[in-house]
Amino acid sequence: MYRIASYLHLSANMNSGIDLQGTFIESLKDLGLSPGLAKLVWMPLPMLLMLIGATVGVLVAVWLERKISAAAQQRIGPEYAGPLGVLQPVVDGIKLVFKEDIIPAKSDAWLFTLGPVLVVIPVFLSYLIVPFGQHLAITDVNVGIFLWIALSSIAPIGLLMSGYASNNKYSLLGGLRAAAQSISYEIPLALAVLAIVMMSNSLSTIDIVEQQSGYGILGWNIWRQPVGFVIFWIAALAECERLPFDLPEAEEELVAGYQTEYAGMKFALFYLGSYVNLILSALVFSVLYLGGWESPIPMDRLAGWIGVSENTPWLQVITATIGITMTLFKAYFLVFTAILLRWTVPRVRIDQLLNLGWKFLLPVSLVNLLLTAALKLTFPIAFGG
Amino acid sequence: MNIAEGVQIVSFGILGTTMLAAALGVVLLSNIVYSAFLLGGVFVSMAGIYLLLNADFVAAAQILIYVGAINVLILFAIMLVNKQEDFSAVPKRWIRNGATAIVCFGLFALLGTMVLITPWSIAPATAVAVQDTVVEIGKHFFSDYLLPFELASVLLLMAMVGAIILARRDFIPEQLGVQQTALTLPEQPRESSAGSIASDEMPSS
Amino acid sequence: MFKILKQISDYAKESFQAAKYIGEGLSVTFDHMGRRPITVQYPYEKLVPSERFRGRIHYEFDKCISCEVCVRVCPINLPVVNWEFDKKSKKKKLNHYSIDFGVCIFCGNCVEYCPTNCLSMTEEYELATYDRHELNYDNVALGRLPYKVTQDPMVTPLRELGYLPKGVMDPHDLPAGTQRAGKHPEDIVEEMKSKASEEEKVN
Ligand code: SF4
Ligand code: SF4
Repeated sequence: MYRIASYLHLSANMNSGIDLQGTFIESLKDLGLSPGLAKLVWMPLPMLLMLIGATVGVLVAVWLERKISAAAQQRIGPEYAGPLGVLQPVVDGIKLVFKEDIIPAKSDAWLFTLGPVLVVIPVFLSYLIVPFGQHLAITDVNVGIFLWIALSSIAPIGLLMSGYASNNKYSLLGGLRAAAQSISYEIPLALAVLAIVMMSNSLSTIDIVEQQSGYGILGWNIWRQPVGFVIFWIAALAECERLPFDLPEAEEELVAGYQTEYAGMKFALFYLGSYVNLILSALVFSVLYLGGWESPIPMDRLAGWIGVSENTPWLQVITATIGITMTLFKAYFLVFTAILLRWTVPRVRIDQLLNLGWKFLLPVSLVNLLLTAALKLTFPIAFGG
Repeated sequence: MNIAEGVQIVSFGILGTTMLAAALGVVLLSNIVYSAFLLGGVFVSMAGIYLLLNADFVAAAQILIYVGAINVLILFAIMLVNKQEDFSAVPKRWIRNGATAIVCFGLFALLGTMVLITPWSIAPATAVAVQDTVVEIGKHFFSDYLLPFELASVLLLMAMVGAIILARRDFIPEQLGVQQTALTLPEQPRESSAGSIASDEMPSS
Repeated sequence: MFKILKQISDYAKESFQAAKYIGEGLSVTFDHMGRRPITVQYPYEKLVPSERFRGRIHYEFDKCISCEVCVRVCPINLPVVNWEFDKKSKKKKLNHYSIDFGVCIFCGNCVEYCPTNCLSMTEEYELATYDRHELNYDNVALGRLPYKVTQDPMVTPLRELGYLPKGVMDPHDLPAGTQRAGKHPEDIVEEMKSKASEEEKVN
């Protein structure tokens, strides 16, 4: 239990870096609250921050998706709601909130309602492990990246549930496809992650970034794992059900797959879940392969050259800001590639999808894992001894 | 009692109740789909209890393997086999029932004795929360729990080979494949190279 | 042994080729992102249809001689020519004429072959109705002239890309009187005439 409480730290280490939690609790104590109460007031704040952050991230991603799709098709895209249509996702969301919530006849009302919830909650929970800086993570769980893989494996149950409860054959087929797809691509995904974990000797996302730090862009794992990152990105796209792997909701075949019967807020949950998942995958990708919060030019060395001590407060603030910006920038760059990919490649067939997963990605990722192990034994300096 | 302990007790109560209720639902509900979904609930609350015991890696593995793979497979099987079947009266039914009862009672007795003989109380001084659970588990796997670990891996290997052989029909002799029952679809014989390793080997994850 | 190696190398080659093609596709998509949006804010802005636009057919009842050529050349025998033989004047008397635009494919054959030129193509393309039978235009409806886009005060007329002056990509706010790039048909006719007369002089 001691550990669960300590999971909710925004800062794990007291003596260096920005300690938001400590400062906040101190100021509450100055107001005359008892230490326990002050901690209780603090505890929901990071979670709230995470929820708001994830939702805002989704709004940005939806806007980007619409604008970039429009640009790729030589259209303008949303234009009237706010400058450049930035408020369009908000408008969409409000519309969905006020829409009638329809539960189809002869459907299973309980499972129908539970399905989207089960899809969304694990995705939001996975945000816990994303670090935005050395001390800017909601938690530093030491099974970090494994927690993400485990949580993302819950979603297929929600999809199956909503597919089954909708009383619609397209929904059922969509749900089954979604489950088959996420199970088959989870294995190459996990193996690609395992190769990274092997190099950094830790499952914690913060350690994984630490291991890539120090050499700027040259130290990022993308150079050490040229095959792994391709496997990871393909598998992550399949897990997010993005084109070319959007078979579960293939419009031309299944109307909208498991979402067919959903309307209003429940549909909005699915929509939100899929975009949160996309951003989360992009964030995890940037943590695993693109050095997380590290900027292409190593910041601490730069500071050393100028002759500023690492513990100067303003330097720490700047580093934290740059870290958050870098992480978000990398993640949204990946979202951009995903959108570009969406308008470039056609959808694969279900047999091609399973062939790609089991006959191509699985063996290749196993070979990649073995190669990484061998390289780690031969060059312990470059591949994390 | 401080806040942490209070939270701990409350969460244990919630997790325990949901687990028991879901487990009872799995056994008692007549709709098999509900049972399968509730099984997922049992697994998740079990993972929560692991988390309360500071076993975070085990909790994550529990979710990944039991909820993410096994439960989904069970659901898959249920949803793909959409066959209504009425139970016909089996002669000598009581033998089966009796055998089931004996096995269940034996299992219960086994677990009960295990619960009774295990020394549960750990001296608070020695119970230091293990910081790096993964490393500890790895050490145990390759020292005192080596035999069970290896046995489990051999079992999984056997399952995987079996799944591949089932999926690649060219390994099965023709005579077996020819006879058709009402449940099998007539299929073209496949070429040896095109035999696909279908998604049957999922448990190997 | 070597067979397996060859298989593996072929497979790897194929994978690299596939990756290359996906990369090429991505570059095409990326290239499209920089291009001019072709969006027209439709009810407020409309494109000026080109000269040979094949829109809804216009028909002049008085010119028609009920020869039914239009019916014969139509790929689906669509125009309905309802005439009866007037014994007194020994001529066909036209009662009704109609074309169903829900079925017409706007191929223009009827317009091309009508001996009296009573059929013509207009530039009207907004044919949405609540009932498909409303698209069955009779001779009165066929005789109406469409409203020109350039004269509609509600609408900003926009030129299509081919009608913009040289180097201009944006059809908005063109100065009045700008000409499209290239020679106009009348210029070409003029040129040909002068050339012919010159040749005559030479001869
Ligand atoms: S071809 Fe022309 S003149 Fe002849 S019937 Fe048709 S519309 Fe009338
Ligand atoms: S335009 Fe073509 S299809 Fe339409 S009425 Fe004339 S000939 Fe028939």
